[in-house]
Amino acid sequence: MKKSKYIIGFLFSLLMTIIIAQGCSSAKQIVEAKSGAQLWAENCIRCHNGPSPTEFNDEQWKTIGLHMQDRANLTKMETDKIVEFLKSAN
Amino acid sequence: MLQKLILAGGFVLCFGALKAQDTIQDQINNLKDDVTTLKRDPNTNFMIRGFSQFGLDAGSDNVNFNMTSFNPVLLWRQGDRFLFESELEMEYMSNQFGLNLGYANASFVVSKGVVVKVGKILIPFGTFGEKFHPSWVNKFSSAPLGVGHDGMLPMADIGVEVRGGLQVGKSKLSYSLFCVNGPRIKDGTEEPTEAGMLSFENANDNNNNKAVGARIGFLPFSNSSLEIGVSGYYAKPGSKTSPFAGDTLNEDLNYKDVTALLFAGDVAYIKVINLIKGTIDIKGQHNISNVSKATYLNPEDTTRYTFTNKCSSYYVQLAYRPALVANNVLRNFELVGRYSVYNTPKGSLWYSNQSQIEVGLNYWFVWRTVLKISYQISDGAMGGSGMGNMPGMSGMKTSMFLIHVATGL
Repeated sequence: MKKSKYIIGFLFSLLMTIIIAQGCSSAKQIVEAKSGAQLWAENCIRCHNGPSPTEFNDEQWKTIGLHMQDRANLTKMETDKIVEFLKSAN
Repeated sequence: MLQKLILAGGFVLCFGALKAQDTIQDQINNLKDDVTTLKRDPNTNFMIRGFSQFGLDAGSDNVNFNMTSFNPVLLWRQGDRFLFESELEMEYMSNQFGLNLGYANASFVVSKGVVVKVGKILIPFGTFGEKFHPSWVNKFSSAPLGVGHDGMLPMADIGVEVRGGLQVGKSKLSYSLFCVNGPRIKDGTEEPTEAGMLSFENANDNNNNKAVGARIGFLPFSNSSLEIGVSGYYAKPGSKTSPFAGDTLNEDLNYKDVTALLFAGDVAYIKVINLIKGTIDIKGQHNISNVSKATYLNPEDTTRYTFTNKCSSYYVQLAYRPALVANNVLRNFELVGRYSVYNTPKGSLWYSNQSQIEVGLNYWFVWRTVLKISYQISDGAMGGSGMGNMPGMSGMKTSMFLIHVATGL
């Protein structure tokens, strides 16, 4: 019974956090103003060194972008900007 | 008459040869068109990537070359929303070649911030197993204690997952929810010294319930430098029927009501700091596993025993790379240190209390290829009869010198 309370509490917290996250949009502009290069530098380094933009072609960057959106839980905006930046070097 | 026949025959042969040449030329042209179309198709892309690690481990008793990993990763993108990915784990250790399917799943981007995955997925319990396990991402050539295929944490399983990243003002939130087949509790019939341990490597579920879990990561700063995460995992790992069915003395032993509840907390801070002319990288994860009490059978003397089935482990890791110094050689070095602890239940036959400290110096040849040199000291105490031959156990301290090269292909 005690354990199920923990689980329900955890799932409720998760749900509330997602709802708040979806609703809160006040300082988004600051993040949206960031360039793809800046987002690339900030996000790739969280797990590994940043790859050179010339390393892959455009189609491969799209595939890697989709892979990293999933694996690193990047937002759609971050993924799109980073992929566009990486493609711009080709 | 004969001349006419020869002439006609010659004409037929020439015409046939010309016709055949035209057909072959047409086929070549068609193939060229097909290849061109394939090259230009932006909707599909197939890539083979992966990672590998090779090196040398030098202990007090032996010095071993080993290939610790060779893991091809296949990525197949169809359109902008669908991705199939899989990882094959190849190992050659102790004179044996091992091939394992690390993960294989299909993911679909449903909308902004929502990705659905089905198949064999990496379990987002903490961060090490899902994000830092590739050898070129891991700062060390080994995993922290308690993590990995023989550890206390779920690494991969078959099921469904919903995940994504969301902007929360300046901050960011990442979430993962999953439902998978779940673990099996070792009842001692196959490996008596491991009774009560959870086994997460099950292609087929041993019961009709599913394991559920989630991870939430919060990145409070707009530069994504800090991430704090919590994970939870719940499962009923026992089979419906007693493993001792038919044994009149012991068939009352049953694990169908046993529950497993796991929690983890993780933190990661990575930042380029001008003041120290480099990148600081701090990571850590704390894991707790609670399996409800059950009675097990000791096969040596056929006595029954029970214990509080609680495991815990944690690691903290620090890395510094002087990436901003002017010297081209010095900026590729990286100092790393890690401390990890793994405790298994007192009273079990697999009781142990292990700790490990490892310091190292890495050199990055390119962004995805690294030479790792480290010195590892393991310490441990054991109470269970099943842990007698483990390095660093029985109150002994062991040390090892490791040199490995890892690359992301």
